[in-house]
Amino acid sequence: MQYQWQFAIVLEYWPIFARGAVTTLQITLLSSIIGLFIGLLVGVSRESAGTAVRVVTSIYVELIRATPALVQIVWLYYCFPIIFGVQLSAMTSIIVALGIHSGAYISEIVRAGINAVDTGQFLAAKSIGMNHFTALRRIILPQAGQKMIPPLINEFANLMKLTTLGSTIAVYELLQESNNLIATTYRPLEIYTFLAIFFFIITYPWIWLSQRLERRLKMRA
Amino acid sequence: MLRITNLGKSYGSARVLSGIDLDVQPHDVLAIIGPSGSGKSTLLKCINFLERYDEGEVRFGGQLVGYVEAGGRRRPATERETNRIRAEIGMVFQNFNLFPHMTTLQNVIEGPIRVRGVARDEAVRDAERLLAKVGLADKRDVRPTKLSGGQQQRAAIARALAMRPRLMLFDEPTSALDPELVGEVLTTMRELAAEGMTMVIVTHEMSFARDVASRVVFMEGGRIVEEGPPGKIFTNPDNARTREFLARVLH
Repeated sequence: MQYQWQFAIVLEYWPIFARGAVTTLQITLLSSIIGLFIGLLVGVSRESAGTAVRVVTSIYVELIRATPALVQIVWLYYCFPIIFGVQLSAMTSIIVALGIHSGAYISEIVRAGINAVDTGQFLAAKSIGMNHFTALRRIILPQAGQKMIPPLINEFANLMKLTTLGSTIAVYELLQESNNLIATTYRPLEIYTFLAIFFFIITYPWIWLSQRLERRLKMRA
Repeated sequence: MLRITNLGKSYGSARVLSGIDLDVQPHDVLAIIGPSGSGKSTLLKCINFLERYDEGEVRFGGQLVGYVEAGGRRRPATERETNRIRAEIGMVFQNFNLFPHMTTLQNVIEGPIRVRGVARDEAVRDAERLLAKVGLADKRDVRPTKLSGGQQQRAAIARALAMRPRLMLFDEPTSALDPELVGEVLTTMRELAAEGMTMVIVTHEMSFARDVASRVVFMEGGRIVEEGPPGKIFTNPDNARTREFLARVLH
């Protein structure tokens, strides 16, 4: 290939990448918090609440897991305002949509974590007269939490990558900034290549950490 | 103190308990023996409603366990109602079921603080006394995984006692232990019995049942086959099935 790579272009426009990276990080963090909140609530109630709550939460989880994240995002951005009369900004839309999206996956992580705790622990907690909620909070979740950490970190890394979907509704995250930059510089090869490397650099450490923790847990068990 | 009347339970079409009648007076030490699958553990768990029963009744201190009577019918008790009774009944499990993320002391004070609402200082004082009593004073800040099986089971006994129970249930407390560790747990239980604790014990330790129990119940196929003082059951049982079972396990 005769192409003359000019990565200097990336250096030249670094503030734009920095701006995009900040947005990407904001989306990742905020949607993680929403996802964690929903996931904990849904995961716990799928294990313990009454039938009605279980049915509703199951529908939520299956609906989200069986539809693409991209469709969820555009639906929230374009359809939700028409049906409910409330227009969310693009940034809010991507954060909320990804929060709801990851909430479904996190709830499954929470559920698996709870199920992995020995049933004898529940029996012991009940036998001293502890109520279900206290048993979850004091006995079950602290033990489940340890098992939940590696998949949760993994989910965080997933969210980081999913933020690029924001470009479809013009959220100025890394991919959108890159697209704009390409429109002015005509250097897609350098910019997309740099983008890929950049994502690898910010995502891989989490995946690595998750695997390492999982191995450590396995070794201790 | 504890009265079980015509208790029955099924899993689908399989009957696991039928027509159980049992009366436990204060200071009784009741040993339940019988082959595996005879429903001993299920019966024990019905007493504090860790297992739901379908027929008959369990009464603890006159109060119906697991259900509430209203206008001649009964409805399932709320969690709060059942927990009030559970808090007065201690239980010791075959696999100890200590909380692995807490130290021995934390295991013991958890119930008093969270369930009985005891102040922390008082709970700690009480727990230290109980741990000393079961011979684990020096293990208060150690996690259960660092304890031997016998030590774990003694810690579990201390945890149950911390709730100041009026009745203690033991579900095969020595079955998961290495043979050389069985003695220390039985000694602790023996001391408890000598202090006058009311106990119901599901066990395979026949010599322990003979020495410590005030009454022995032999179960088979979800029914009580024979019941009587250990002197009678172990030397001259009325029922042929009891004789067969004892002949098998005593040799």
